[in-house]
Amino acid sequence: MSAQTKFPQSENRPLVVLGIESSCDETAAAIVRRDALGNGEILSNEVRSQDAAHAPYGGVVPEIAARAHVEHLDRIVARALMNASLGLDGVDAISATAGPGLIGGIIAGLMTAKGLALVTGKPFVAVNHLEGHALTARLTDGIAFPYLLLLVSGGHTQLLIVENVGQYTRLGTTLDDALGEAFDKTAKLLGLGYPGGPAVEREAASGDRNAISLPRPLMGQDDCNFSFSGLKTAVLHAVNRTHRDDPDLRADICAAFQEAAADCLRDRTGRAMTRFEARHNDLETPVLVVAGGVAANTRLREVLNNLCQARGYRLCCPPHALCTDNAAMIAWAAAERLAGGAADNLDVMPRARWPLDPDAEAVPGAGVKA
Amino acid sequence: MRVLAFDTAMPACSVAVVECGGAGAEILAHRFEPRARGHAEVLMDQIAETMSDAGVGYSDLDRLAVTTGPGTFTGVRIGVAAARGMALGTGLPLVGVTTLEALAAAGAGLTGGSVAAAIDARRGEVYVQCFSNDLTPLSEPCVVTPADAADVLRGHTPLIVGTGARIMRDVCGEAAGFTFDAAAPELSDACHVACRGAVKPSDGPPPSPFYLRAPDAKLPQRKDG
Ligand SMILES: Nc1ncnc2c1ncn2[C@@H]1O[C@H](COP(=O)(O)OP(=O)(O)OP(=O)(O)O)[C@@H](O)[C@H]1O
Repeated sequence: MSAQTKFPQSENRPLVVLGIESSCDETAAAIVRRDALGNGEILSNEVRSQDAAHAPYGGVVPEIAARAHVEHLDRIVARALMNASLGLDGVDAISATAGPGLIGGIIAGLMTAKGLALVTGKPFVAVNHLEGHALTARLTDGIAFPYLLLLVSGGHTQLLIVENVGQYTRLGTTLDDALGEAFDKTAKLLGLGYPGGPAVEREAASGDRNAISLPRPLMGQDDCNFSFSGLKTAVLHAVNRTHRDDPDLRADICAAFQEAAADCLRDRTGRAMTRFEARHNDLETPVLVVAGGVAANTRLREVLNNLCQARGYRLCCPPHALCTDNAAMIAWAAAERLAGGAADNLDVMPRARWPLDPDAEAVPGAGVKA
Repeated sequence: MRVLAFDTAMPACSVAVVECGGAGAEILAHRFEPRARGHAEVLMDQIAETMSDAGVGYSDLDRLAVTTGPGTFTGVRIGVAAARGMALGTGLPLVGVTTLEALAAAGAGLTGGSVAAAIDARRGEVYVQCFSNDLTPLSEPCVVTPADAADVLRGHTPLIVGTGARIMRDVCGEAAGFTFDAAAPELSDACHVACRGAVKPSDGPPPSPFYLRAPDAKLPQRKDG
């Protein structure tokens, strides 16, 4: 970790922060304002997706992503400023994702931000992309600490207790594939294209979720971990047994896959709730926040909503545009850290891997997804 | 014209503030540090220190210059992304200079004739381009095997500079009429980036990385089709 510089933060000062995100295949910049009471407001939020550039490859190609980020970052930042009707002089601090993710892209965004911070002399914050996801619910819904977080994206599937800014307890993670990745692989197996999550959901709508039986890996186990590679293999077998070009069968496989994923989420999240309650037994209405691109899935939301009702939780799903990769969450996480008086030096290292809870037990198969 | 230039495209990190004028160039401050990695971490401190050594602020500069490659993909992006961020933050014009041209500029003083920059591109290839002594390009930049590079350069009888010079000498010796000089620079340096940057038009689009190699990515084989 880089040395932290102190950011002189007087209690009642609002903060306007520029955020940059480039850790995967979205080039994004945003301006967010955090008032003295801790309320957030998005002044602008620009995202340029590279989906079209990666689609022919059936997934994100790191070198292609890094090249595109460098080409577009400065223009996206300029647009974020313009749409917020601000010049850089109206910004109090500069921030960027410093990890985890695809290192080439992270470097591009991080260096753009460092360059901006150097010449403007403004404080700089290197943000953990996962912390961006974790704190979004405070920007959108003003959720108070502590809360339970289910992070389900293309790169991560984790259950965490968000205790405070910079303070996370990981209860579980995937041992292999992330859930979004499993959706994408399923879509690929069925020839549905990339990104696969929305395509699988669309197909599933007309399918019979009981037509095919698929496994629910780890369901019933005492921990809060996930595993989706077995599910993906089962989908592969189901596809091989049948003909993937039969639209009815394709829909049935999608529906069955989505239902298996939903059951896993329900079971694993339920267990995490029990652990959360054991740690924080004084909360009147505990909150479950669901973040990450997979949270867009209506069936998964429905299942989690039912779980929350049964367990007396409030479910908070930030709007889709703030659940997938975006820079507003990066600017917001930076603002939250600055409000606590922390900033970073310009020698911060880009990190492909950066767990939110460095003390969590190692999970060998999880790799960068931990 | 006062130029802040930097280079992270090769196994070195260099920064210079140079007063480039008609009569010549005066280096106000300069840093050159060989390093294989870690450019992203050290670059900003290097720039800040060089600026402070030169005793100038960003508003005292006339333009920024950066190497665009070819070099390591990551190193090229570190420099170009930082430079474009700085240009946005200062409103200063930003120009790109290739590592090949910066190297040739460094070699031009060692000879009265043409200069070829050759950079080790790994995978058995070199990035290569030939320039006249006044740095007019005599060949297109390309990435080729040393033997093919010799074909590109044949007829120009240049002094060969850069990390690829040693490779070229091992492969084709001096037979082809090339000259080698033990004092020839191996790595590009920000001082030359500044001077070359000073003479380029600055009203174009922001400089893009110059990779000379396509990304390593294979299109999936279609099973049906
Ligand atoms: N309706 C949906 N149902 C299921 N999955 C979905 C849906 N919409 C999007 N997804 C999945 O969400 C993922 C993209 O989410 P997001 O942008 O948050 O992730 P990422 O950038 O890949 O990962 P990370 O944020 O961990 O770096 C993809 O895997 C996509 O298939």
